[in-house]
Amino acid sequence: MEKIISKIKAADKNELTLFSIAVAITIIMATISPSFLQGTNIRSMAFQFPEYGIMCYGMMICMISGGIDLSLVGIANLSGIVAAEIMLKMGSSNDSIFIAFIAAMITGAICGLFNGYLVGQLRIPAMLVTLSGGQLYTGLCVAITKGPALTGLSPAFQKIGNGLLFDFVPISLVIFIAVALIMDFILRYTIYGKQLGFMGTNHTASRYAGINNLNVTLKTYMLSGILAAVSGIVMISHYGSAKSDYGTSYTLLTLLIVVLGGVNTLGGKGKILGVSLSIIVLQLISSAFNILRFNSFVKTLVWGLLLIVIMVLRAILQSHNLKFWRRKSENKVS
Amino acid sequence: MKKISAKENFTSNEMIVVYIIIALSFAIGSINSSFFSVGTIFDTSRAMLIMLIFALCEMVVIISGGIDVSFPAIASFSLYLTISLMNKYHINNVVFAFAFAGIIGLVWGLLNGLLIGKYKIPALIATLGTSSLVNGAILVYSNGKEISNIPSAVDVLSQKYLFSVASSTGGKTSMTVFIILPIVLCILIHWVLRHTMLGRKIYAIGGDTNAARIAGINVKRTQYFIYAATGFLIGIAGVSNSILMRNANPSNLMGSEMIVIAAVVIGGTRITGGHGSVIGTILGVLLLTIVSNNLIMIGIPSSLQTFTVGLIMVIGTSITSLKAKKIALSPKI
Repeated sequence: MEKIISKIKAADKNELTLFSIAVAITIIMATISPSFLQGTNIRSMAFQFPEYGIMCYGMMICMISGGIDLSLVGIANLSGIVAAEIMLKMGSSNDSIFIAFIAAMITGAICGLFNGYLVGQLRIPAMLVTLSGGQLYTGLCVAITKGPALTGLSPAFQKIGNGLLFDFVPISLVIFIAVALIMDFILRYTIYGKQLGFMGTNHTASRYAGINNLNVTLKTYMLSGILAAVSGIVMISHYGSAKSDYGTSYTLLTLLIVVLGGVNTLGGKGKILGVSLSIIVLQLISSAFNILRFNSFVKTLVWGLLLIVIMVLRAILQSHNLKFWRRKSENKVS
Repeated sequence: MKKISAKENFTSNEMIVVYIIIALSFAIGSINSSFFSVGTIFDTSRAMLIMLIFALCEMVVIISGGIDVSFPAIASFSLYLTISLMNKYHINNVVFAFAFAGIIGLVWGLLNGLLIGKYKIPALIATLGTSSLVNGAILVYSNGKEISNIPSAVDVLSQKYLFSVASSTGGKTSMTVFIILPIVLCILIHWVLRHTMLGRKIYAIGGDTNAARIAGINVKRTQYFIYAATGFLIGIAGVSNSILMRNANPSNLMGSEMIVIAAVVIGGTRITGGHGSVIGTILGVLLLTIVSNNLIMIGIPSSLQTFTVGLIMVIGTSITSLKAKKIALSPKI
């Protein structure tokens, strides 16, 4: 028992809060409407969050590096459209699905590298680069599709977003968990992960410490682009079609999730566990709204409100802690 | 124009934009001769009118070291609420329309100022949150529907013209009365930024917040003022937009933040704060308006338009950022 208590005490406060919020929502919703805990609802939740969940990790690493990536949705749509075009041109055989997948990854990587080059080499603010980059990639999507959605994707491909592994676990959820584990490994156990954190904390200091900032920035945005491409594949496979304006609300959503997940908005700090928990919390809220039959516009409102409230609370807590520590140190001196 | 050439600074940001605009105009004119006419000037100024007000507000915010992506939401909110309340309570008054819309914008602007000034939340994240909140609120209120009957007293304004010129085809082209609004604002903001203490404070905060605070500037109060004042102007711009378009649509303006920020940055305002001028912003807006209005005229298919605008945004913002970097790295005496 003592072990558990000490473990809880040692755990991250933010993650603990998120976990309790998730439990609270589940309990409240389960008492209001019993259908919340039914298999169909849980399964539909598991189908919904991987597509934006994977994007969140891209946003997360960019934010840890001290930047931001607002072009994720654009890259996801572009990679999805490239993949769909290839599959449709090649007659939707199993080989074509594989090639399309590779092509989507390459597209994502190139878009990410472009962002990374402008941010890292030319030192243009990340927000500006990704904002106009997102417009550029969306423009490419419109140029390729000429507007309407690309439909007629093969059933074998649609299984990625809609199928079940062993008739039980959604394939997209498996992909999501795999991505989360890989990202956790990269951030915690590789040299790149450490370098990323250092660079985000202090750009100049990391350069003097011998870290190749340009290299790290390029890798970060490329990785973010690849993650966007993976989520683009899951997205078009889930919807069964590819279009230039799918998931436009995901930009704000991913930002909200990442901030809620405890990633420092100025760079340097962030954990996969926190972001993953925050993805689950947001999906629970979204699902609760669906069950309570709220208007979908309410969701936009609540997400904005949530983002503001969390940021304000965190700011208040921070200044409170600061005062507390100051008082403590003053007492010690006197 | 006169001022810049007097400085004999032919490679300044403003002049580069001027060169591009001139080159582009000749390119469009050579393909489509009807481009060079009074009508084009009137159309372009009408098209850039609202965007110019947004860009001026955005410029002031960016100069102060912040950024505002919530203005389309605030404008949509104030225009829709104003028109719908006027219809509901049969208020047929021009002054009320503008004052009410302005005050709504001011309230939301104050919220932005509070989040950024008091709680020190990064401006991008704070205004993204406000944007979502405000947009969600007006969508819930309006249920996504638009209002097409504008109160008659304000609707008349859309048909009021300053002056008309007979065009070559025999018809008449007219300049809308709303052009006064951005012109007055340009002069006012230029005056505030260049010739008042307040303007100097805004530049100082954008240049270095800590240095400004130590120099005795009340950073918080100035930030409140900036966001509240721009909110007020954005509310007025919102209702002007709905009068010009003759409908009140809660989602029409959404998504225009990218192109406005791009226009401001192309006009030479540094995204990191501390630099920027009204003339540059006017030129930036003019350039992007000409591009987006005349792409069809020079034979670019409509499916390529988003891409072309995106490309110009990337190139334009890169050039200005690179120039800013060069200046920052150049040896100081």
